[in-house]
Amino acid sequence: MLNEFVLEMKGITKAFPGVKALDDMQFQLKKGEIHALMGENGAGKSTFIKIITGVHEPTEGDMYLFGEKISFQNPNEAEKLGIAAIYQHVTSYPDLSVTENIFMNHEIRHPTWKTLNWREMHKQARELLRELGSSIDPKAQMNTLSVAQQQIIEIAKAISTKAKIIIMDEPTAALTARESEELYRITEKLRDEGTSIIFISHRFEDMYRLASRVTVLRDSKYIGTWNVDEISNDKLIVAMVGREINQIFPDKIVTAGDTVLEVKNLSKLGDFEDISFSVKKGEILGMTGLVGAGRTEVCQAIFGITRFEKGEILLNGSSVKSRNPQEAMQNGIGYLAEDRLEQGLVVDWSIEKNVTLANLSELSTYTWLHRAKEKEQAKTFGEKVQIKATSIFDTVHSLSGGNQQKVAVAKLLTKDLKVILLDEPTKGVDIGAKAAIYEIVQQLAEAGYAVLFVSSEMPEILGMSDRILVMKEGRIAAEFVNRGVTQEMILEAAMGEEPVQKKSG
Amino acid sequence: MEQKKQTYQPRTLETQLPFSWKRLFFQWEWMLLLILVAVLLFGSYVSPYFLNYPSLRDGTMVFLDKALIVFPMAMIMIMRDIDISVGSTVALSSVVMASLYTTAGLPMEIAIVACLVTGAVCGLINGLLIVKFKELSAVIVTLGTMILYRGIAYIILEDQAAGGFPEWFGFFGWGYVFGIPFLLIVFAALAIVFGILLHRTTFGRKVFAIGNNPTASRFSGVRVDRIKVIVFMLAGLLAAITAIFLTSRMGSTRPNIATMYELDIIAMAALGGVSTAGGKGRVVGVVIAVFIIGYLQYGLGLINMPSQLFLIIVGALLILSVAIPKIGSLMKRK
Amino acid sequence: METKEAHAENPKKNMLTLFYQFRELGLLFFIILLCIGVQIRNPSFLTGENILDLATNTSILVILSLGMMIVLITRGIDLSIGAVIALSGMLTAQLVAANPSINPLLCLLFGTVIGAVCGMVIGLLIARVGLLPIIATLALMNIFRGLTFLVSDGEWVSSYQMSDGFVALAGGSFLGINHLIWIAVFFCLVFFYFLNYTRTGRQIYAVGSNPQSAAVSGIKQGRVLLLVYTIMGGLSGLCGVLWVSKFASAQGDTASGYELTVIAACILGGVSIAGGSGKLAGVLLGAILLGILNNALPLLNVSPFWQNGIQGFIILLAVIVNAIVKRRVDRTHLLRRAG
Repeated sequence: MLNEFVLEMKGITKAFPGVKALDDMQFQLKKGEIHALMGENGAGKSTFIKIITGVHEPTEGDMYLFGEKISFQNPNEAEKLGIAAIYQHVTSYPDLSVTENIFMNHEIRHPTWKTLNWREMHKQARELLRELGSSIDPKAQMNTLSVAQQQIIEIAKAISTKAKIIIMDEPTAALTARESEELYRITEKLRDEGTSIIFISHRFEDMYRLASRVTVLRDSKYIGTWNVDEISNDKLIVAMVGREINQIFPDKIVTAGDTVLEVKNLSKLGDFEDISFSVKKGEILGMTGLVGAGRTEVCQAIFGITRFEKGEILLNGSSVKSRNPQEAMQNGIGYLAEDRLEQGLVVDWSIEKNVTLANLSELSTYTWLHRAKEKEQAKTFGEKVQIKATSIFDTVHSLSGGNQQKVAVAKLLTKDLKVILLDEPTKGVDIGAKAAIYEIVQQLAEAGYAVLFVSSEMPEILGMSDRILVMKEGRIAAEFVNRGVTQEMILEAAMGEEPVQKKSG
Repeated sequence: MEQKKQTYQPRTLETQLPFSWKRLFFQWEWMLLLILVAVLLFGSYVSPYFLNYPSLRDGTMVFLDKALIVFPMAMIMIMRDIDISVGSTVALSSVVMASLYTTAGLPMEIAIVACLVTGAVCGLINGLLIVKFKELSAVIVTLGTMILYRGIAYIILEDQAAGGFPEWFGFFGWGYVFGIPFLLIVFAALAIVFGILLHRTTFGRKVFAIGNNPTASRFSGVRVDRIKVIVFMLAGLLAAITAIFLTSRMGSTRPNIATMYELDIIAMAALGGVSTAGGKGRVVGVVIAVFIIGYLQYGLGLINMPSQLFLIIVGALLILSVAIPKIGSLMKRK
Repeated sequence: METKEAHAENPKKNMLTLFYQFRELGLLFFIILLCIGVQIRNPSFLTGENILDLATNTSILVILSLGMMIVLITRGIDLSIGAVIALSGMLTAQLVAANPSINPLLCLLFGTVIGAVCGMVIGLLIARVGLLPIIATLALMNIFRGLTFLVSDGEWVSSYQMSDGFVALAGGSFLGINHLIWIAVFFCLVFFYFLNYTRTGRQIYAVGSNPQSAAVSGIKQGRVLLLVYTIMGGLSGLCGVLWVSKFASAQGDTASGYELTVIAACILGGVSIAGGSGKLAGVLLGAILLGILNNALPLLNVSPFWQNGIQGFIILLAVIVNAIVKRRVDRTHLLRRAG
């Protein structure tokens, strides 16, 4: 009976100091099946992968491979036993060739001389790629390839290790419909050849299209495993989120006023093209699209981090130019960065210093910093967004993801802003904190800010926005007024193959 | 536990920290003070001429000239950069000053101004190159300018020495004000100015922010590039001031003066608790470290120990001061 | 519309890409131009004798540049090599002075081992303790230099104290070609094989190109770093012996500041300080370019006092031009991906 499963995990728990990243996980993988793993950000999926691939050792629990109990000390051992992972952020060697990326650390060597056999490796790489239906030159340098191509290389790498189990972590996140279709085809081919695949994705259509079974994680806990044709969409959402999705969004009180921000024909070669939209006072404008569709690039151009080549930005009707973030904030534009740890916060600093960082000039005379004023401001704004901490001196890295995000929001509030650009504000925070962030976003709109709300997650785009922009390959593919809009309509616009055309409704 | 938090309990944040003995005494600076005391005791043990006020006072003249550069160097290291061209900048500024006075026959006052300008321009070039070509890193840029600046000094003066300055110029290196060496007064003044600049102004706050997270700083409206250029310029300017004191004390200059100054300066900053990975450091610690290294050098000199021994000690101190915190955290992890 | 623009700019961009991919050819082209220029000014430049002379004088630089290249590829730097050269040179010279009959090859081994031990200490500090390479090697540069002065007590070891066999190490020749050139060629071949045809060689590139994925791939980074600094140290130790043999004197300040020249050769040869890339051919040409400058400037009656300045200027210029070209190339890649 045991042998029915290629991989079986029983009661796997991983504890880090202070947190349980994975709690009592159960998992069974059959030979030649595609098994979807679903859950919100921070549900424990990445910890789960790291345990399977030997990056982390579980604190408790047992793993069985082909019925045999195993434990890994390091990634090499997992690889030897036929487990390979394709990570969400492609982990390639940009300076090295395709062949080398495929064969790194399991190179083909001359049997006695241990010399690397480049001719054979190039040949096999070419064959592997041909099998995958790709004509990429094995000698090309990795950083000259597109994300989709790099993904194919990663798959080739997994196959070249003769992996029996392949884990794909959000492989479609940055792919267009055609590229996704290509990936589906390759994945199914692998399955038919007997490889077992764990497919991790946000997208329901990935799961429906590919997987035969689905396992759901929530808050680091195992929720359940179902056959895909036996579980309804709504039930799956409840399993993932823990409650009906519409309960977590605050009620909308539409008070949209005059147009505050207007963007006209904004273009930057290679990043985005001909972007035009406007946001009104008190309005939440949702912006979505695939990863890499150019959403962050547009936000950063408006905020003065990068330059745009053509177009115009109007604030309250008059044209503004922001050469850097400082000028953008003086103009009244604020930006909440996508990656709060790398771009938003100084994590080793206290809440206080983070909150006041953007507003130091207001708190000083001739650059002399008034500490009392600083504390007062940190307290005021920290309490306004309800940061859960004991004092303003708590370091940011000691806070949970949601509270860190609140610190970043508090920092924006210290400035006298009219427009706030929120780039994936709920990325990597748990569901409870999400609700709190939605609340804050709603309050910002009610307080009269014009809000641009960028997100990859359809439910929150649909739940929060007054209007929705869909970006595709650097252009605005569609614009909807959020009444009766469905996920399918948005996905169609974000991934569709037909040329971009402007819809209005 | 986060889930229950949707209700509107008013949440307050403390703005006072409770007093803690641990926080007061668990600091690198106390450690440094102990080392300084040990150095002084060692000095008095090996030489009867070491531990008295005139000796300690005049001893500062031996090492404080280069120590002036440690303040901007600390800022640079806090910002995760490094400047290994400062020794060459000292040499170039000094050579420019001396040759303008001797060869060009300009008044000494103008030569001094030219010296300061030279230093600042050297720093400015470093800063601009580092900011405009971020992929090169400060190591490579200052490595290049280190060779270039000293090369220019050689072009100007070849292997000659230039000297014969007016008598009043000797005041910088040898003068006293109210019985205290002028150099010591300048050092103290600079320590206070940089202490305030780094710990009490928005400029200093931004320097720390850049060292901790350059991207987040830029996204928060900090003008990262501008601040970097200013700090590198300060390093050049302070190198020029050092050139004035050093030239004055030696009475003449050569293109090969101040070789390897950068090492002593980096060692002083690192020993003083400035993190070489950026983001941390205090002027108090740096000042104590200057006196530790300086008096060590002075003490060894008094007993005619070979100066090479001093090289080894500085190297060992530098390694220990950066390794001890790391080893501590390595042990903790195990 | 976007694609049209990209196409319009493509031919020029492709030239740039080509130039960047074959930047060694560009460097070679520059060297040839330089040689022609020098030859026109001074016909004694391209004579067999001078070329051999030039090659002999560049050999040590080439050997050291090979070691520095792998250090730079792992995102590191080694500022201590001048001091290691002095230390190993001094100890070997003292050994020879004390035992004139010792086999010269034993001396080579002795110096290499001393250097390798020095390098291993650096490697341990960087790989195990986690110090920044620039700080660790700066500190050890001081320590090694100080040790050199201590063991020599400030004295020189001069030519009359050295055996003929020892001096012949770097002075003698085989088939009319100086030993140093043979040694340099030998190391070039070894490194070519090591970097391109062994797993460890490729791991050096992997660690420098993307340390995170190297960790995920199960490459033992600590071991690679330790190996790289030990090799660098061993080569420095070897060169210390050759240096002392060549100049027939060992002093406390031997090779002071030579690390800068070596790093300069690597950077001229296109090794990126950000790690992950660097080719042997490029480094070889970089070292040769510096060798030619050193040889040709006196032939052109350029004052020796200008050499430092010219070298510094060329290094800065080379890294800046390199950075600008690389930016344009990256932009092309970006455009191609977008289009």
